Amino acid sequence: MVLADLGRRIRTAIGKLGQATIINEDELNAMLKEVCGALIEADVNVKLVHQLRTNVKSALNFDEMTGGVNKRRVIHRTVFQELMKLVDPGVEPFQPVKGQPNVLMFVGLQGAGKTTTCTKLAYYYQKKGFKTCLICADTFRAGAFDQLKQNATKARIPFYGSYTEVDPVVIAAQGVEKFKEENFEVIIVDTSGRHKQEASLFEEMLQVSNAVHPNNVIFVIDASIGQACESQARAFHETVDVGSVIITKLDSHAKGGGALSAVAATHSPIIFIGTGEHVDDFEPFRVKPFVQKLLGMGDISGLVEK
Amino acid sequence: WFSAFKSLVSNKQLTAADIAPVMEKMKDTLTSKNVAAEPAEKICESVAAKLDGKVIGSFSRVATIVKEAMRESLVQLLTPKRRVDILRDIKQAKSEKRPYVVVFCGVNGVGKSTNLAKITFWLNENNNRVLIAAGDTFRAGAVEQLRTHTRHLNNLHPNSVQLYEQGYGKDPAGLAASAIQIAIERQIDVVLVDTAGRMQDNEPLMRALSKLIRVNEPDLVLFVGEALVGNEAVDQLVKFNQALADHSDRDATPRLIDGIVLTKFDTIDDKVGAAVSMTYITGQPIVFVGTGQTYSDLKSLNVNAVVNSLLK
Ligand SMILES: Nc1nc2c(ncn2[C@@H]2O[C@H](COP(=O)(O)OP(=O)(O)OP(=O)(O)O)[C@@H](O)[C@H]2O)c(=O)[nH]1
Ligand SMILES: Nc1nc2c(ncn2[C@@H]2O[C@H](COP(=O)(O)OP(=O)(O)OP(=O)(O)O)[C@@H](O)[C@H]2O)c(=O)[nH]1
Ligand SMILES: [Mg+2]
Ligand SMILES: [Mg+2]
Repeated sequence: MVLADLGRRIRTAIGKLGQATIINEDELNAMLKEVCGALIEADVNVKLVHQLRTNVKSALNFDEMTGGVNKRRVIHRTVFQELMKLVDPGVEPFQPVKGQPNVLMFVGLQGAGKTTTCTKLAYYYQKKGFKTCLICADTFRAGAFDQLKQNATKARIPFYGSYTEVDPVVIAAQGVEKFKEENFEVIIVDTSGRHKQEASLFEEMLQVSNAVHPNNVIFVIDASIGQACESQARAFHETVDVGSVIITKLDSHAKGGGALSAVAATHSPIIFIGTGEHVDDFEPFRVKPFVQKLLGMGDISGLVEK
Repeated sequence: WFSAFKSLVSNKQLTAADIAPVMEKMKDTLTSKNVAAEPAEKICESVAAKLDGKVIGSFSRVATIVKEAMRESLVQLLTPKRRVDILRDIKQAKSEKRPYVVVFCGVNGVGKSTNLAKITFWLNENNNRVLIAAGDTFRAGAVEQLRTHTRHLNNLHPNSVQLYEQGYGKDPAGLAASAIQIAIERQIDVVLVDTAGRMQDNEPLMRALSKLIRVNEPDLVLFVGEALVGNEAVDQLVKFNQALADHSDRDATPRLIDGIVLTKFDTIDDKVGAAVSMTYITGQPIVFVGTGQTYSDLKSLNVNAVVNSLLK
């Protein structure tokens, strides 16, 4: 994954610090400048980067620290902890439970990859032995139902939708009811793309949510997004209770830092990443191994536990 | 009395040291408005170089001077050096008894097909008949999406739009060639070619796009990019242009991107920096701005409004 590029730069910056015999405030500042520059170039939200800088600085009290080795360790650990905060909201990812209906509702900006990812997730759970299905509650986008239908048919997943019903709330409610009666375990509801500036679209999202009572709302976000992500993600979270994040299009050159602000804004973990247009271009995401890899660290347990 | 006053307003010269801290703040502002790191850095450098050594009144604030110089540079950057006048060029093509051909390209999900439909509507409003070529033969629902748009558009302007499609899996370059042929036969004014979204690093797909453009020699190649995109805007445009250049005929001058469609401008509030990143990289004009999901949500770029948002 291309996010590793960010890791390399951060690693080099921390490494430089490691070589210096005496660490003074100037060196720390230089290192932070390098780290923050790398984060900004990866589209991490400017506010989060400033916060990271402030937090690292305030966590380190120079006069109180004694030897150089200790100082280095503390700096290393603090930077690591701050980076962890960017990707880890400290919430256990949602897990569907077998033998009961688990309704998952997809939301997100236009073109983020919701419809494509719905099928990927359905396919993933189907392979895990869940009885899985898809519902197309997007009556707005031209060809939306055909898109879901073609994807679902190819992946052999039962689906529900309508060419004539114009109200997504009605379709979502009918679909969920039907599939619950048929004892489906993972019921995935796809919705239209929308943005916070259009209040009626957010109202519609709320109504769909109220109609289907999702067990988990999944916010889908494109890896190439820049500084606009944070306020959008926050607005989605304030309207429906977002519980998970999926980052798509990580097969691009994008480092995905913009999308990370969705984690902070929704207090939700990244559960999967999308790495291509095909149904199996999809990977579960686990925070700790990810950051470990990012920073090129072997065993990080010594760094996290004080 | 008069001379005393005069000495008071005596001038001073700006030094790099005066400018640097203000410029650093300026760069932060641009970054927070979603200008990519490289353009932000380069634009600040060039403005700083321009101001270095400049003589200013001693009452002038450095911050104000930097801001004004920045405003000037940004306006200049965003103001097209070359005007793309599609309606005029369509007339020209008509007089040559051939259709005017536009290819839409870009990464996945940015709004190529939707804005193609909006542009069709605009062309219809201007009394041009359009043939849409369903050149995305890959993504599920892509053909049906355009079929739906064609139906809606014909409801608004009867018999003004036709769709040429071959379903899924076909070679888009050949499909576009057939569409152009049909447009000639049916005397349709404009052919708009939709293409599948593709990542700029996807070599086979980039090669296929280059082929489509090389074979069909469109009048206009539009890159569709979304205003939401961050630093990736730079890489997308550099690599789309690079791919077009690499795979062009050896002796012909390469066909590069002629203009930009900046979409989803309604979703970004004042974070308008992608407009700067995209123009900075290509030097090409933003021909259309997409401001919503209906056919009339197509505008031209308001340079002063964008610059005001950037410097706020
Ligand atoms: N390369 C790549 N493309 C992807 C990925 N996920 C989705 N896409 C593509 O992104 C485009 C948009 O995907 P959709 O699933 O239609 O997005 P959406 O969020 O449902 O869009 P709306 O319903 O219009 O809001 C399509 O071309 C997909 O094939 C991914 O992980 N990698
Ligand atoms: N808010 C807003 N949404 C837009 C705009 N332009 C397009 N969209 C939406 O973005 C989503 C994707 O649009 P498409 O036209 O399918 O994008 P595409 O680039 O053709 O996608 P692929 O062919 O899958 O690569 C749809 O939901 C559109 O309605 C715009 O200017 N503003
Ligand atoms: Mg969709
Ligand atoms: Mg399309």
